[in-house]
Amino acid sequence: MGTCNHKWQMTDIIYGYLVVQGCPRCGDRASFFSNEPAAPIEEYMEGDHFWAHLGSSQATKFNLKCTECHEIVHLDDLVGLMMSTCEEPQCYVANIAKSEGKMTSVYVALCSDSTHSSGKCISTKGIDSLNEYFNQNIKTPGKKILVVPCNKCCSIDMCKGIVIADVGLTEIY
Amino acid sequence: MKISELASKTGLKAISESVDKIIEGVYISDMASDIITNAKANVLLITLQTHKTLIAAANLIDVSAIAFVKGKRPGQDVIELADRVGIALYSTEDDTWTLASKLAKLGIQ
Repeated sequence: MGTCNHKWQMTDIIYGYLVVQGCPRCGDRASFFSNEPAAPIEEYMEGDHFWAHLGSSQATKFNLKCTECHEIVHLDDLVGLMMSTCEEPQCYVANIAKSEGKMTSVYVALCSDSTHSSGKCISTKGIDSLNEYFNQNIKTPGKKILVVPCNKCCSIDMCKGIVIADVGLTEIY
Repeated sequence: MKISELASKTGLKAISESVDKIIEGVYISDMASDIITNAKANVLLITLQTHKTLIAAANLIDVSAIAFVKGKRPGQDVIELADRVGIALYSTEDDTWTLASKLAKLGIQ
């Protein structure tokens, strides 16, 4: 155990909605994945929070399974991936992207607790397996994908990036 | 087959200069969430979508090139992002079916 040279593949793939909600009382923001036929938009109370719907987009959720040792890494705490384009000088993510160089693309693994009021984020095991999975499939010489947890972002509002979600595909303007 | 050779045989027009990578297959999708779960490295992605999200998804999978059908053309910000991550962009007046048929005749599926 612990010596497997993992060969990850996606498993338990489900398609649904990434729903973002906010609490106007405390300013917290959170998100969750819903596999209902339509994205839920209802407001609701949860303890002191009054969660209001801020937006939703089609997205996917998955776990990773090793085809060699059959270990499964559950990514229940992962709600999305964001390609970082942040250039804020005080941002860890921006700085690590700069130090890694042009051949590395940094992606932020987004957890459900966007403002991290619970103190939790994506597990280290989850981040490690995501890095192994995406890099094992790359064929371009020298190219690297670096996945980091979203608690490394400078700010939920200031840290810039492109969230991999299908925004607006169910709407007609 | 190299992208340049494939482009000349199918009438794809280059939107940006990029590395002449090898194309090993084709994937057709207009959804980023579908691309990251199903596309493979070194494919040519055929799509109608011209949004930045598509580049973020394609880069994660190591897609070689993207062909926008029906004369679609992405904005300059999308072109610059694709250029930065080494994804070649092409455009064609063909619809998805016509382009896919041309590629299939070349043995690329």
